[in-house]
Amino acid sequence: MKSRFRLKTSLVEYLEGAVFIAPWFIGFLVFMAFPLGYSLFMSFQKVTITATKTTTQFIGLTHYRRILFEDGSILYNQLLPFLRQALFMIPIIVVFALMIAIILNQNFSGRTFFRAVFFLPVILATGEVVSEFLTAGEGDLGFMSKYNVSGLIKANLSATWSGPLTSILDSFVLILWYSGVQILIFLGGRQTISNSAYEAARIDGAGPWETFWKITLPAMTPFIFLNVIYTIVDLFTFPTNPILGRVRESEYGEFSALIWIYFLIIGFFLAIFFLIFAKATKSQRGAA
Amino acid sequence: MIGVKFKTEHAPALLNRLNKIRYAVLGREADKGLLFKLFIYLILLDTAYIYLKPILHMLTTMVKNADDLLDPSVKWFPRVIYLGNLQEAWAWLKYPKAFGISLTLSLSVALLQTFSCAVTGFAFARLKVPFKGLLFSFLLLTFIVPVQVTILPNLIYARELGLLNTIYPIIVPAFFGLGLKGALFVIIYRQFFSTQPKELEEAARIDGAGVFKIFIKVMLPLAKPAILVVFLFSFIWTWNDFYLPSMYMTDIETQPLSKGISRIATALRQQAEQYGPSVTDEAIRMATTFLMIVPPMILYSFTQRWFVEGVERTGLVE
Repeated sequence: MKSRFRLKTSLVEYLEGAVFIAPWFIGFLVFMAFPLGYSLFMSFQKVTITATKTTTQFIGLTHYRRILFEDGSILYNQLLPFLRQALFMIPIIVVFALMIAIILNQNFSGRTFFRAVFFLPVILATGEVVSEFLTAGEGDLGFMSKYNVSGLIKANLSATWSGPLTSILDSFVLILWYSGVQILIFLGGRQTISNSAYEAARIDGAGPWETFWKITLPAMTPFIFLNVIYTIVDLFTFPTNPILGRVRESEYGEFSALIWIYFLIIGFFLAIFFLIFAKATKSQRGAA
Repeated sequence: MIGVKFKTEHAPALLNRLNKIRYAVLGREADKGLLFKLFIYLILLDTAYIYLKPILHMLTTMVKNADDLLDPSVKWFPRVIYLGNLQEAWAWLKYPKAFGISLTLSLSVALLQTFSCAVTGFAFARLKVPFKGLLFSFLLLTFIVPVQVTILPNLIYARELGLLNTIYPIIVPAFFGLGLKGALFVIIYRQFFSTQPKELEEAARIDGAGVFKIFIKVMLPLAKPAILVVFLFSFIWTWNDFYLPSMYMTDIETQPLSKGISRIATALRQQAEQYGPSVTDEAIRMATTFLMIVPPMILYSFTQRWFVEGVERTGLVE
């Protein structure tokens, strides 16, 4: 009798859970799972869209072959420089955000003002506003042209790397603009470290340097992880990035193939990062 | 202080004083002490300048008339405040109408996401859901899949249902807890709900409350900080987004502000190519930008304090 009743309650609990998750799951199937599958399907098709219907014709890997081997201009001339640039931007954004978040967490006069200022990018640094500022020439650092830094870089690095690097320095200010949400994530993360940890460290005679490396940084590791993922996803899906502006209604099949190649590259990026992170935390745990 | 006992009896006092000076300059933690204070202010002021400069540039440029724009000695302060650029931008954007569309769109998406993501986050945090682990990995998948991967099939849906050039294709996914960055919002709620004490729920259950009642009466009122954060993010991101409108709403009559800006930028560029650049181009672009960001700025200025507190309390964590 008793066991039957318990079975029933757990079944009811599962039902309740299912009811609550159902809307999202339906949405997931309709707006994510099916479109994902369908766009993968289209990437192997020649898609013709007329006013009345959509016809597809299987052409195998033709689109992929073209993008990867024959007509690689989109991929190699636009995507690879962007990827190299991303490689520099991700650490800059994350380190900068961490620094600002730790500073903003302190008690100092003018804190409210600075906080308000530092969250401005969250409000503004999306979409068109940024590109407006960029065309207005607000993206560069004044000292760059003054001291001819780009000239120095170009003289010392090969063209493949100096190009992205100078373009980063030219838009350095905008890179900082992309770090709004990351600062928020770090601020939230900093709240999870209890003050008693710092007090205990202080009593044990730890200096500022040690407390940062031994307490703050380890406790922030998961947030660094989250932030790197967020930054990767954000950078790669930012509408101004070169690949994503290429949706053409007429070339559904080819665009699908392009976007899937792109998506796999993002996945690859994320996977590498996951591996590095897993290794890092493991060695850290081993040391502790 | 190991070395102390080998020194003369005056040494501890001296050492103490040295330490005091050291702490005053360097601080006991990375955050206190003069040197660090100076360093901190240096960084803060620099960065604040970086963040504020484009905005100040925008504000001063848009009120300059053609003379001031041409005069290189006028950098920050225009000689006269000229509102013609704003008027022109207002007319180009069809401001009242575009504003209405932007507001309807952002408000509906924000309200729907605030609620639907809360439901989903609550389920992930506190309920027994069949295949929860698998579903959660699906959630993470929606987080990392770029919109662009799924846009074409979604466009086909919209076309089949005759919903192109309406705001519905953007609003409907929000109803299901998806939409722009929906996965992030679900994660925020999930994090928030999972930090609430279990006793709350048990007490409510003993009082005979069902799961719906617990969610509405107990959990949602507690989730105010998370609600505020999600609502504000959702509103502002939808307001600023121009990718989805540019996909679904190609019809020129019904464009939200974010789309209007890019339309004007293109128009100005074409004009410049044909007739040569005009001095007022930049002023007009800055004026349109200003008109677009004013509403979210006002919203933010009212909610800023709660917003920051909310972020800290929700942890925005995974």
